[in-house]
Amino acid sequence: MYTAAFEYHRASSLEEAATMLSQIGEGAKILAGGQSLIPLMKLRLAAPSHLIDIGFTSGGSYIREEGRLLRLGALTSHAEIELSPVAQRIAIVHDCAAGIADVQVRNRGTIGGSLAEADPSGDWATALLALSAEVHLISPAGERTLALDDFIKDAYTTALRSNEVIAEIRVHVPDAGSGGAYICLKRAAPVYATASVAVELKLEGNVCRQPAIVLGCVGLRPIRVDGAEAALRGREIDDVALEAAGEAVRVAADPESDMRGSAEYKRTVAGALVKRALRAALGRARGEIVETSHLYA
Amino acid sequence: MVKTETEEKNWVGRPVPRKEENRLLRGRGKFADDIKLRNMLYLGFVRSSYAHARIVAVDTSRAQARKGVVSVLTGPEIASETQPFLEIGPEPCAKIKDYPLAVSKIRYQGEPVAAVLAESPALAVDAVELVDVQYEPLDPVVDVEEALKDESVLHEEAATNRVWRGVFEYGNVDQAFAEAAYVVDIDRLHFHRFSSTPLETNVILAQWDGKDERIYYWCNNSFPSFAIQFLAAHLGVPIDRIRVETSDIGGSFGIKITSYPQMAVCALASRKAGGRAVKWVETRSEHMLASAHGNERTFRRTRVALDRQGVITALVSEHLDDCGAYPRYEPLGCVIWSQVFPGVYRFRNARIDFTQAVTNKCPVGPNRGYSRMQHLWFLERVVDICAHQLAIPADEMRLRNYIRREEFPYTTPNGCVYDSGNYAKMLDVAKALIGWEEWKKKQASAREEGRLIGIGIGTTLDSGTNNFGQSQIVNPAAPFSGNSQGANCKLDIYGEVVVAVGSCPQGQGHETTAAQVVADVLNIHPDTVTVRTGFDTERNVHTGFSGTYASQFAVSGLSAVHGAAQKLKHEMTRLAAFALQASSDDLEFGSGSTGPEIRSRSTGASINYWGLSNIVNVNSAVLPPELHDITLNCRYVWRAPFKVPDKEKKYGSLTLTYASQLHIAVVEIEPETFIPRILDYAAVDDCGTRINPPIVEGQVYGATAHGIGAALMERCVYDSLGNMLTSTFSDYTPITAMNMPNVKYGHIETPSPHSYSGAKGMGEGGAAPLHAISAALQDALSARGIVIADSFNNGDSLFRALAEQKSGQGTKPVKVERRS
Ligand SMILES: Cc1cc2nc3c(=O)[nH]c(=O)nc-3n(C[C@H](O)[C@H](O)[C@H](O)COP(=O)(O)OP(=O)(O)OC[C@H]3O[C@@H](n4cnc5c(N)ncnc54)[C@H](O)[C@@H]3O)c2cc1C
Repeated sequence: MYTAAFEYHRASSLEEAATMLSQIGEGAKILAGGQSLIPLMKLRLAAPSHLIDIGFTSGGSYIREEGRLLRLGALTSHAEIELSPVAQRIAIVHDCAAGIADVQVRNRGTIGGSLAEADPSGDWATALLALSAEVHLISPAGERTLALDDFIKDAYTTALRSNEVIAEIRVHVPDAGSGGAYICLKRAAPVYATASVAVELKLEGNVCRQPAIVLGCVGLRPIRVDGAEAALRGREIDDVALEAAGEAVRVAADPESDMRGSAEYKRTVAGALVKRALRAALGRARGEIVETSHLYA
Repeated sequence: MVKTETEEKNWVGRPVPRKEENRLLRGRGKFADDIKLRNMLYLGFVRSSYAHARIVAVDTSRAQARKGVVSVLTGPEIASETQPFLEIGPEPCAKIKDYPLAVSKIRYQGEPVAAVLAESPALAVDAVELVDVQYEPLDPVVDVEEALKDESVLHEEAATNRVWRGVFEYGNVDQAFAEAAYVVDIDRLHFHRFSSTPLETNVILAQWDGKDERIYYWCNNSFPSFAIQFLAAHLGVPIDRIRVETSDIGGSFGIKITSYPQMAVCALASRKAGGRAVKWVETRSEHMLASAHGNERTFRRTRVALDRQGVITALVSEHLDDCGAYPRYEPLGCVIWSQVFPGVYRFRNARIDFTQAVTNKCPVGPNRGYSRMQHLWFLERVVDICAHQLAIPADEMRLRNYIRREEFPYTTPNGCVYDSGNYAKMLDVAKALIGWEEWKKKQASAREEGRLIGIGIGTTLDSGTNNFGQSQIVNPAAPFSGNSQGANCKLDIYGEVVVAVGSCPQGQGHETTAAQVVADVLNIHPDTVTVRTGFDTERNVHTGFSGTYASQFAVSGLSAVHGAAQKLKHEMTRLAAFALQASSDDLEFGSGSTGPEIRSRSTGASINYWGLSNIVNVNSAVLPPELHDITLNCRYVWRAPFKVPDKEKKYGSLTLTYASQLHIAVVEIEPETFIPRILDYAAVDDCGTRINPPIVEGQVYGATAHGIGAALMERCVYDSLGNMLTSTFSDYTPITAMNMPNVKYGHIETPSPHSYSGAKGMGEGGAAPLHAISAALQDALSARGIVIADSFNNGDSLFRALAEQKSGQGTKPVKVERRS
């Protein structure tokens, strides 16, 4: 497997990378962990003429909690997030990081790269959309911050301008009494999910507040399921509510049949996953320690 | 120390650590891609994105103009310089013209259309993209039953997609049906297409050397003596001009047997480049798309006659085998399944109408369990479905139908001789391992909770050392019969014991087991035996059957090694008798202070191996004339005791040994996601005498992994246009250690009377997990009236089966007629 020829540039900072993008223009691409881009180049499905490597910049990889904000440098690897005690406090973030592919991919792949790729089967966008997350972008023209929901436009399409790079991902730390979970069904570890579900909610007593339910892999972009949220909001989550949420998810999912499964099966799986994720989220909201894992077929 | 150890015990049968591990586990293996020659070029294949198309034009000019590109080869150019590859089958198969590059038509996605030669591998890939091919798409045929309608014909010269057809009929089928108490009809069963994904893909380094007009290959083909026969005829060169060398091989599972077309292209490319060496390293995507897959088979209109006790008395069925776009090793698979015609069962009356057809898919190759596993899966499905229909417990059904221990050696209805076995005992061992009774209880209580748990038995055979005379059943004019393997055992000039074998192992531990055999013959330690494995035509040990395939090394390879070692021992005895002035019965083999030696019991005088070799090799004036025939370099060819089968009756002994395996799987269909989960798993193996038990166990685990992968994860999927949807590991999802259950391993030993050591070939394994898992799923779902009719099952397919059944749309694939 050999890529087409390209010119390699090493940026010393994200700012410099953004400047290089502007200067080189057409044909230039940022290279972060390379776990999406390099496979595509080897299959010759992508053939950028210039690669701007941001893997050697310093200060692009960090996890910091500042007040109510968790700030993740764009170059933070999945593995760093998985192992970070700070990030671990947001269960959904940990679930997501720990379940991506295998150790090799987690060590190389970055959260910024994953969001920039906007693969409809990628894990990060789905998980983070259940939290209120923002993406901080820089370019020679300045900087801006977008809600993740506005950043992800479509399959493989983001709001990134041609001279912009992602510098940071900001996640609002959920209130006390909140809990979340992220669960996928995967056919094997190093393979994208068949369906995935992210759930975040808050309990007041036994009453569910602010539920957020997002589906991944079952549409061109992650799908927020208002119907399922409505079935839970302001009430106690019992089996009836779980079933209602499951049914709403089944209806909202918009999958295509492919090698991972038939459309009907993916709907059913999403409905099953949301119930599991909700149970885990509920336990966590009550302060219980709930271990979750993806389902491997 | 060594002496007493070897005197007390044979090395054969002991867990001798593998000699090759030292090299392989330290990353010091020598694989084909490790070999680099000066000035070598790299080859890249231009491949068709269509599955069925006419080639309108191939324009190589842009590629040729590219700096670093040396030349481009196309199909018409090759066709003008070579003969099409031999076809094993008679007409219509014989009319097929198979060239290593497509000449005027494309017949599967990924078929090579042209080959480019460049100074670097990256340049070769670049140049591949610069070859412009114009296609005129044709209707693709991806289903065997569609193919047999001949509406769109792949090979116009053959005028039909049918490759071969034959009826295998034995006993009195009509009478058995007339007398049956029950007749069960099974409309359709389907064995899916999958492959074995060796870690190392195909690699070929070739050089057509103009100086000596010889073709040199360093490659990982796993049946080189077969490949050179095809290559010599294709290239029009005497076979002695082709030298093939293999070294370590990272897995083959039969898939690398059919790399000869690529070998041809590499040689022709080297000739065109003035004799520069040419290397081709297959990418994973190329391997998945266009190396070889296993045979897909559909079983139609099966009828089973049973007596009142559920004993099967007769079976009729139509089997439709899909061999992909070119037959290559086929239609041998059309007879090879009949090595296990009745499986492990006693029925004597059967008629199987066997047809094979080409389709617009990757050509098949002899994938692990080749052609027999499809049939054995079919038989296990038949037995299991009948058991469920007649409400006979699955274990009881098998006991009523198994060939019995006292019936061995057992002659099957088609004349095969099962050497040894004890299937009922294997069932006992497996049931004990898995805790059969406990699982039955757990299953019952789980059912009350609405959970779907099934327990399935898979009994299978691994027939080894085949009689190539069976090729005459598919083609009466085929010039093959019997089986043989060669080995050489020598004392080198300084007395080293060196063994060479015509095998090319891919992890089977031949270096170790061959050393064990020689160590026993000469009463020395296996560490003192050097074994040269890997094929090399220049070693001159091979026969036309040499290679590593079809579960036979333990029998054919080691019998050859044993024969060569005995020949050497005989020469050494005569020589030592002369040197020590002793009679040969006074001599004993062993080790002394200077290493391996022969000594006289009465005088205590001894001569070591250096001394013996010295006389023959460098001090020969002392040798008396009556010992001049001694060379201490002994080649022995072992021949299997076969006759040519009766071609008309399709009757005869087709394989020498029959190892068996019995697996039990406990599987739960997970609520809501329908994912089949293996809760418990037992595998019992009987390969007769185990030459090296850990090696046997390793093979059992490997075959179990392959089988579980095939049953639940791995399949080659094509869409209706013939696009392959599983050409990467993300889509094909090969099994890894993470997906494996804990396997409870057990074994019994019924030594074979057909091999000198009592061993039976066992490497392929017979795909027992496919049988056991299908049976377990059947058991889980039979209460819902669902029949497991496909060898591949996953959450999606089980979800759909249950949904169809619920909505009442499911067809009734099985009918039972009760006559009593
Ligand atoms: C075998 C395998 C299995 C995988 N399985 C999963 C899985 O289960 N779940 C999952 O979510 N992912 C999976 N992935 C993908 C993995 O998570 C990638 O790491 C991730 O999608 C991309 O991150 P990266 O740093 O490797 O980005 P790269 O591959 O370097 O880049 C990806 C894209 O993002 C752009 N980019 C990167 N960083 C920035 C930035 N800071 N600003 C602007 N643009 C940027 C690049 O230009 C490129 O277009 C898998 C990958 C492999 C190889």
